[in-house]
This record gives sequence, C-alpha cells and structure tokens, in this order.
Amino acid sequence: MSVVNVRRQRSNDNCAQKSHKELVSCVGWTTADELYSCSEDHQILKWNLLTRKFHLVSKIGRIEKSVEAHKGAVLAGRWNYDGTALITAGEDGQIKIWSKSGMLRSTLASQGSPVYSVAWGPDSDRILYTSGRQLVIKPLQPSSKVIQWKAHDGLVLMVDWNSVSDLILSGGEDCKYKVWDSFGRLLYSSSSHDYPITSLSWAPDGEVFSVGSFNTLRLCDKTGWSYALEKPNTGSVFSLAWSADGTQLAGACGNGHVIFAHVVEQHWEWKNFVITLTKRRTMQVRNVMNDAVDVLEFRDRVIKASLAYGHLVVATSLQCYVYNSRNWNTPLIFDLKEGTVSLILQAEKHFLLVDGAGLYAFSYEGRLISSPKFPGMRADILNAQGVSLSNDTIAIRDKSDEKVILLFDALTGKALSDGKPLTHKLEVMEVALDQCGPSTERKIALIDKNRDLYLTSARHLGREPKICKIGSMVHCMAWNDGANILCGVQDNQLTVWYYPSAVFTDKDLLPKTLYIKDGSEFSRTPHILSYVGTKVALRQGDGSLVYSSIPPYPALLHEYSTSARWEDALRLCRFAKGGTRGTEGEALVLRAFSFDPSPPSTSGKSLVAAWLFPESQSSLSLPRVQYINFIKEQPSKESSLAHMLMFSGQVQEAEATLLQAGLIYQAIQVNIDLFNWERALEMAVKHKTHVDTVLAYRQKFLQKFGRKETNKRFLQYAEGVEVDWEKIQAKIEMELSKERERAANASVRSSVASRR
Amino acid sequence: MAKDPLAEAGFYFDELNKLRVLEPDVSQKTSELKEECKEFVDKIGQFQKIVGGLIELVDELAKEAETEKMKAIGARNLLKSVAKQREAQQQQLQALIAEKKMQLERYRIEYEALSKVESEQNEFIDQFILQK
Repeated sequence: MSVVNVRRQRSNDNCAQKSHKELVSCVGWTTADELYSCSEDHQILKWNLLTRKFHLVSKIGRIEKSVEAHKGAVLAGRWNYDGTALITAGEDGQIKIWSKSGMLRSTLASQGSPVYSVAWGPDSDRILYTSGRQLVIKPLQPSSKVIQWKAHDGLVLMVDWNSVSDLILSGGEDCKYKVWDSFGRLLYSSSSHDYPITSLSWAPDGEVFSVGSFNTLRLCDKTGWSYALEKPNTGSVFSLAWSADGTQLAGACGNGHVIFAHVVEQHWEWKNFVITLTKRRTMQVRNVMNDAVDVLEFRDRVIKASLAYGHLVVATSLQCYVYNSRNWNTPLIFDLKEGTVSLILQAEKHFLLVDGAGLYAFSYEGRLISSPKFPGMRADILNAQGVSLSNDTIAIRDKSDEKVILLFDALTGKALSDGKPLTHKLEVMEVALDQCGPSTERKIALIDKNRDLYLTSARHLGREPKICKIGSMVHCMAWNDGANILCGVQDNQLTVWYYPSAVFTDKDLLPKTLYIKDGSEFSRTPHILSYVGTKVALRQGDGSLVYSSIPPYPALLHEYSTSARWEDALRLCRFAKGGTRGTEGEALVLRAFSFDPSPPSTSGKSLVAAWLFPESQSSLSLPRVQYINFIKEQPSKESSLAHMLMFSGQVQEAEATLLQAGLIYQAIQVNIDLFNWERALEMAVKHKTHVDTVLAYRQKFLQKFGRKETNKRFLQYAEGVEVDWEKIQAKIEMELSKERERAANASVRSSVASRR
Repeated sequence: MAKDPLAEAGFYFDELNKLRVLEPDVSQKTSELKEECKEFVDKIGQFQKIVGGLIELVDELAKEAETEKMKAIGARNLLKSVAKQREAQQQQLQALIAEKKMQLERYRIEYEALSKVESEQNEFIDQFILQK
C-alpha cells in the first residue's frame, strides 16, 4: 500500500449530503453500511448507505432511558470493547462509569476543568482522558499507577486509543495531532495546522487514522505521516467514525453536512505485478514486464487484499476472491461467514483469514484447511506483528499473556507440542516463522520488549526449546519468501542473517553469517514491508518507500543445500569467491552451512567445507574442520550422528542417541571427553563395564594437573579396580571393531533390503 | 335720463327681457367668477395629479436608489470578503500543494532507491558475464 485517497462518497455533484439544519455533532456506525448522526437540530438521522435512504429517529425512536449524568453538558461518552460498560465525561470535570442498563458504577476521576474526550484502553482495563493540556491514563483498579503527561500546548480536544496497535492519538487547540505509545512516549508530532484539530479517529485495524479540522480531512499512517489531504467545504469536522471494516469514514460537519469518505488507491506489489484499488470495487493489475493491464471487478467493496506467492487474495464484504498471477480472468470465489476480514496472511501453500470470530486457514483452491482456536481468543485485535503463518505452522502471540506464543499445526489446527505454548522471559512484540525447509526444522524469530531478536525452534519434542538471542536493538524483521534468510532493521542499519540457525550450532559463527548494510541511506527508523527474492522493501519514517538489494548467492546456496546439490554449491562458492566484492558474506554462510548438523550425510557438505577452509586461515575454523573430519571417520551412523549433536552442543541428546544404539562405551567416552566424570562413572557402574577406563582417564587427568583425588565415589571404586592401560586400550579397540562390524552388517542389510 | 322706477325698486330686465332681482353687471360678474372658479378647481386638480405622479416617480426612484445602494454595499462587502476568500482558498491550495510536494519527495526517494538497486543489479550482471 502506498497511496490512499479520501474521497467523498456517493456524491454526484461532488457535494456532501446536507441533511441537518444545525451543526452535526456526532456520528457513529452500527454495521458496515448503517450510520447514525446526531445534530443540534434535535434530530438523529439513520443513514443506510446501500439503499441511500435515511430515517428520522428522534420523533419515533423510543428513548430507553435518560439519566442525569453530569452537572453541565456531557462532553464525551464511549462504550468499552465488549459493550458492557459506558464511560462518560462532562463539563463538571467528572468521569463516570455506567453499566449497560444505565446504573452508575463509579466516579473514576474528578478534576477542576472539563474533560473533553475519553477513550478506553485495549483491554478495557484502563482509560485515557484529557485534563486541560495534559493526558491522563488511569487504570480502573484504584491502587494502580496513574500516568499523566503534558501533551499539547493548547487544550487537548480529542483522544483515541487503538486496541490493535495500542497507540494513542491526541489533537488539540495548538493545531497539532500527536501519536503516543501507551507509556506516554511521543512517537510523532505533526506540524502546526491552520485550525485546531477537532476530531481524530483510528481505523479499526490500527494501520491508519483520520484527522478532522476546519475544512480539512486528513488520512494518516500510524507512524504519523499523511497519506492524503482533502479540503471539503464543510466547516469544522466535529466527529469522525470508521465503519467496522475500516473502509468507510463518516464525518460530522459544522455546517450540517455529513460527509462520507472511502479509502481507495491502495497499492500492492509483488515481483512484476502492481495492483491498485482504483475504485471501491475495482482493482487494476499491471504487469510491469509487458505493461499488460487487467481490471478486476468485484460485486461488493474491497475490504482487505494481499498479494504474495503468486496469488492475490481479496476479501470483500461477502466473498473471498483468490486469483492466480498467471490468470487474472477466472478467480476462485467462496463466501465468507463474517464480513469484516481484518487480516490476510499468506504462505506458499495456503493463506490465513482473520475476522472478528476467528482464524481460518484456506488453501489456494478455496478449501478450508483448519481453524485454530484457543481459550480467550480475541481474533479482532490480532495484527500482522502478532500472527505468523508458514506452510505448516501458525504462530500467535497470546494477547492475555504477551510472553506466550501459541503454536498450531496449520494443516490440522491443533496446538503443537501437546498444547504447551512457547514461553519467553519477556513480553513478545513481534513473531515471524521461517517459510522454507521441512516442518521439523521450523524456526520462529521473535522480538521482545527490549527489542532483542531471538530465534527458536517452533517444533520441539518434549523438552523446552533453546531460545537463542541473535540480535539486539531490532525494530522489525522479515523472513525471505524463498529461503530461510532473515532480515531486520537493527539500530537504523539493515542486517541480514544469512543463516540464523547457525546460532544453534555455534554462537561464534553467527556474526560471520551477517550481512550489514549501512544505515546512512535510510532516514528515520525504516520499517520492513517485504523481503521477496533479493529485494527488501522498506517504508521510512516519512512514508517514502525504499528498496535494498541483497546479494543473491546465499539464497541460491540455501536452495542447493536443501536439495543436496553440493557440487553446484561448490561451484557457486568458487564463483562468488572469485568476484570482487560482497563475496565474503557468501563464503561465511557456507562455513555455517557445512556445520549444519541436521542431515547426517555430510559428504557434500564437507566437500564444500574442505574447499573453503584450507584457504581461510582463521584460527576459529581449524579445530572445527578437524572435528568434522573426525565425525566423518566415525565407524557407525549412530556415533557420527551423536558427534554431530555434540558439535551443536546438544550433549544430552548425543548421549541418548548412543545409549539407544547400545553403544555404551561410546557414551561413556563422550562424558569422559567432556570431563563429566561423575556421569561417566555412574554410567560405567550402572552398565558394569569400563569402570577401569573411567578411572584410568581420571587418574591421567589428575596427574596432568598435579591434583589428588578427593571425590569419594572415585576413591571408593579406585580401591577395587586395577588400572591397566594396555588392557583398557585393548578393550576400547574391541568395542570400536564391534561397532564397525555392526555398522557394516547394517549397511549390508540395508543394501540387501533396498535391492529387494 | 330718467331713473327707471323698476331699477329703483330693485328689479331689472335682462337681455332676454326676463325680470331679475340682480343687477345685470353683478350677475355677469358672478357668472364670470363662477367660471373662473371652475377653471381654477380644474387647474388645481390637474396640478394635484401631476404632483401625485411626480411623487410616485420620486418614490420609485428612491426605492431604486435604495436597492442600488444595498447592492453597492453588498458588492463592496463581497469585494472585501473575496480577498479573504482568496486568502482561504490560497491557504487550502497551499496545504494541498505542500501535501503533493511531500508525496513528490517520497517518490523521489523511492526513485533514487530503485535507481540504486538497478545499478547494483547491472553491476552484478556485468560481473556475472565477465566471470563466465
């Protein structure tokens, strides 16, 4: 999306609808197409946008209940998000909470000056109100801390608080509007306008907001910069309201008009396609390769759309259209249950629709695959930062406890790993799943409250997964669509993690797989929009789009390694090395690659590694090469797998693998090598073999460091056991040959089986 | 000439030899007066009519003058407000221009970024061809 225009809707003569005789003070939507407006001519009008009629309500409408709420005028009133409580603020400076039936629950605050505007917090547990030039956030619990800060140089006239993005908007008589986070930190302050800001309103999805002033209507991005400005001849816009689907906007004007605006001219880009929403129900698809233009018409107005992985998904108020980029003529159409789709996420094989009622994963053939559910789900406040989709997994940040990430299988909708969610130590701000590779290696990247970037495995069996930190000061991130490459904006510079999983193998390798692009070409905090192919699209703080290209080699390497085409990979490496610039990173990613512990067959990888490492004289890499060679020389599959696990620091798994294969000596030896004496002895005693081996090694170790045995258990066993090195060596040799024999048998057996 | 006894008694004969109690002179004068009076009344009536017309005309004129005056005042006020209107319009247009300028600047930055990407890609292609 790059440009959005506000237009007066339903206006043949380009003039807004005149209906009230006096100024219109308030508007509000009930459904997507029904609006109420009230005016100082003592009338409430009901507008139906489909039939183009309006009804007078004041004369016939029955007033259910009328309550004397404040001394002086009531200036603001708002329902909470589930409609169970009403809050009112008045000229007498009091804020009162009312039940649904109109009973006074409590007087929350009282001050000397009028309260002009009030808003509920995202969970309806806090309220925000104006106090002269200040803004106050007050929790409903009486003991909790109140936040208060000076917001404007003039009276604050209007506030709004979005439940999805948790951002606060304020506008005042100093003719500025400002965006704040919920801690009262200023995120954006507009330049001074000509007239006071009289109204503000967040779109329900929290991506855009509208600002009203004298003869002015503005549409702005959540980061504050302005998409479009309209100068309707309406007088001051006193109230603005978005329809629930976030596509239509109504404004109450000082001259008695009610204006309707509609958001159009959104852009979507993917590879060589540019799609523009030209009218409410029309999209234009442009193929920039051959300048072919297709026009897509819809029966209802477009609410949300998404373009990725060769598919365009468009949600209108009643139906969902799925287009394939190869054929724009015949979309797949299916009906939607609820009209207000708030989010569309796409993966290669399917896409996810989020509406007020829940999440639904559909295949591109239009088949409902799954619908993940969890207790306390509030699908209406999910945003793109809190949900992530890959071909097999769905990750959702739990809104009730933001440290928790819920993981679901995309194909069944069931919770992964026995319903045990992933728990981080801090509040999680953003989650993203990688898009490629087998489902067992699915990784999830998350950014927490401290803006640290972590990586962990999404699918884990039994034990707690390791959550490894791979970056700090990361503002936003995105996975590549075709390879497991992660990019992020780190402290104003663009960082690409060519092989983030390297952190599981070796932390020291990670910095070598980084590609950092100088931040000087970007101005204020850019935000990543997409990372497709080798192109990263970023949106800068001032709203401009910038692109950055990432060298193509790593993605190719990923591709070769997943398809185990090591000879091609090697050729690519040679080619990249021979280049003049930007090749170091590629070489480094290879290094990490060759240590990828997952597939046991390492011949191709070690080939690549062997080619790479003789050249690089890095002290870091040499012992690793030796170890890789050592792994290659292991007599059996099991022990090389175990050593691979050891290599990536998963000692317990390595031990378990060996024990499972019945290689008890090898398991003991592993522990001896790690100086894990107690465990080695324990195992030796338990399996009644190699106690002398353990003791012998222990003695050797103690001698080397000139120490004496103090461990009681060792002393105890040392008494009964004679240490004879020759005997031990012979025993070890025997064990190894036994293992070799077994491995040979196994391979013969498997080859026989394969021949059959 | 001997006095007419009739005359003495106050009787006279007129030209038609009818007996009269008024002297012929007087009678003649009287009738003359009457004529003159009548004439006078006629003239006065005529005068009144003329004056009435005049008044009406003047009234109309006054009315017209009044409306013209109002028109002039209105026009003068309009003229005054046009300046203000223009100012407001100018302000509005300037706001719109500023908006467009910002958009232009955004496009310019985007273009620059894309040009850079293009040059990078060209460089890559060159390098690729050279290596082959």
